[in-house]
Amino acid sequence: MTITTQEEPYIELNGVRKGFKFGTEGISIFSDLNLSIARGDFVAVMGPSGSGKSTLLNILSGIDSPDAGKVRIGKSHLDRMGESARSSWRAHNMGIVFQFYNLLPMLNTAQNVELPLLLKPLTRKQRSARVDTVLDLVGLNGRQKQYPNRMSGGQQQRVGIARAIVTDPGLLLCDEPTGDLDRKSANDILEMLGFLNRELNKTIVMVTHDPEAARFARRTLHLDKGTFIEQGMDSQ
Amino acid sequence: MTFFKLARRNAWRKPLRTMLLVFCVGVAFLIYGLTASFRSGSQGSDGASENLLGVVNKAGRAQPLPLAYMNKIAADKDVAALAYMARMRGFVGAEKNVVVTSAVDPRLIAGVNGKELGLTRELLAGLDQARDRVLVGKALAEAQGWSVGQRIGVTAFQMTKTDGGRDWSFEISGVFNGADASTDTYFMIARYDYVNAVRARDKDTADAFIVLPREMVSPGLLASRIDSLFANSAAPTKTQSEKQFLEAFIRQFADIGLIVNLVVGAAFATILMIVINTMVFAIRERTFEIGVLKTLGFSRSHIMVLIVSETMLIFVTGGMIGLALTKLATVFAGPAFGLVFTPVVLVKAIIIIVVLGLVTGILPAFNAMRMPIINAFRSR
Repeated sequence: MTITTQEEPYIELNGVRKGFKFGTEGISIFSDLNLSIARGDFVAVMGPSGSGKSTLLNILSGIDSPDAGKVRIGKSHLDRMGESARSSWRAHNMGIVFQFYNLLPMLNTAQNVELPLLLKPLTRKQRSARVDTVLDLVGLNGRQKQYPNRMSGGQQQRVGIARAIVTDPGLLLCDEPTGDLDRKSANDILEMLGFLNRELNKTIVMVTHDPEAARFARRTLHLDKGTFIEQGMDSQ
Repeated sequence: MTFFKLARRNAWRKPLRTMLLVFCVGVAFLIYGLTASFRSGSQGSDGASENLLGVVNKAGRAQPLPLAYMNKIAADKDVAALAYMARMRGFVGAEKNVVVTSAVDPRLIAGVNGKELGLTRELLAGLDQARDRVLVGKALAEAQGWSVGQRIGVTAFQMTKTDGGRDWSFEISGVFNGADASTDTYFMIARYDYVNAVRARDKDTADAFIVLPREMVSPGLLASRIDSLFANSAAPTKTQSEKQFLEAFIRQFADIGLIVNLVVGAAFATILMIVINTMVFAIRERTFEIGVLKTLGFSRSHIMVLIVSETMLIFVTGGMIGLALTKLATVFAGPAFGLVFTPVVLVKAIIIIVVLGLVTGILPAFNAMRMPIINAFRSR
């Protein structure tokens, strides 16, 4: 007898509906969005402007909630959580990489990376050790005291990635992580994301306009008018 | 890094703005510190006793009372100690250099408030040695540059001598310090027997009787009982506590308490508006960053703590600078201006610092706390 087990998806969206109101006019972004992503997957989400990529990322990160439908990540049902529960969830389960890095200018590299650790019950020594480890991982060892305004875009994005992974989250959400970088820096960053996915088993959802960037993902989903119109399997 | 360090970094990202805010807060607390020190000092009434009673002529302090009232007042079983006093106002040298001399029976005044004035046995013994000797308060001695053994001349404004003159000569036999810095020591103590013998008018009268009630006795009740003793006499009395008396006396010139409250209130209201306004704008400039912090997992309460810590930092720094300057002012100019920086003034100031820090931080913190992340990200 053969027993087959199908692993439960790590990320699951069921019947998600989301719209916005502009004055008296309502605009629907998603009317019935469904999505399953397995643990350890690296998914690129592509689509034209206004297709709902950012809204999807906002819903996955819990910074926005759907009007209807279910959003489950791991064992957490984000659609049932209040704002403070979602904050706490983000602090412990998710890292986010922004297009424009969004580092705090008055903090140096180490302090920027340390920010999410302030929410964890760690000693100063433990926090410092973690910061050094992730900076080593992203190739910025020795730049702990450097301020963002003294760094290139690629270096700043590395700091952004270090900040996103310093709490060792299972999920990494990337919002156009290479959108502000030259090709070489972009490839370095994408290599790094690939490494985090392969070696550290991080589940990555990356929104991008760039087909080159999408090639680094295991899967590419095309979003148009609130629906995934194509699901392709790309090999790295 | 800690939350506090993050707040400190936020506060100092625009050093000039922060320094100006700290300066504003510092000035406000300097004003508060000086006015509160004035009130608690010898020139104000905060340091005066509420227990010690003064009996004066109801018609006015310039009208004397017969010395014979002494026995009637002393007969009350609730009177623990009693003294009488004739007050001579005059000047030394220039007419505006006013000094006050209280002519008393040294033994009796020592029984009533000798401890408060710091009248030691040695000082009283020195006064005993000659009738024209005086004890000078420390503040007065320092202001006039007088020393023990010096002979001084005082020209009375009204109290004439039997020879028709108004120039009185005294020898300083000692200097009394007062029990603490808030005790008024800007006057002299002379012997009543000498002043009474030499003065031409109002002999055997007193300008005031000073009454120390027994323990557990209500000063208010005793005061009304004393006044009722002389209600139908030729010279009815008005009995008040030292504090009431001093407040009424100061109010003859101005309602110091009201002025102090208005000045301090205006200063704090202005500071409050400046800091709230600046903080609201400072936080609005950082809306996007607050969105980033929230995305990283900072909760509403974390954001609240962060912003309130920032305003607290500004108020604590400014407040401490203001209070330190006040302390310096009281050390260097305190005796001359009657400024006393008491622990009560310090504690009140610390409470105000904390309350204002919280109040000014709450509005911008509340705005930032409520700002949805999506809206925060749209602000760039």
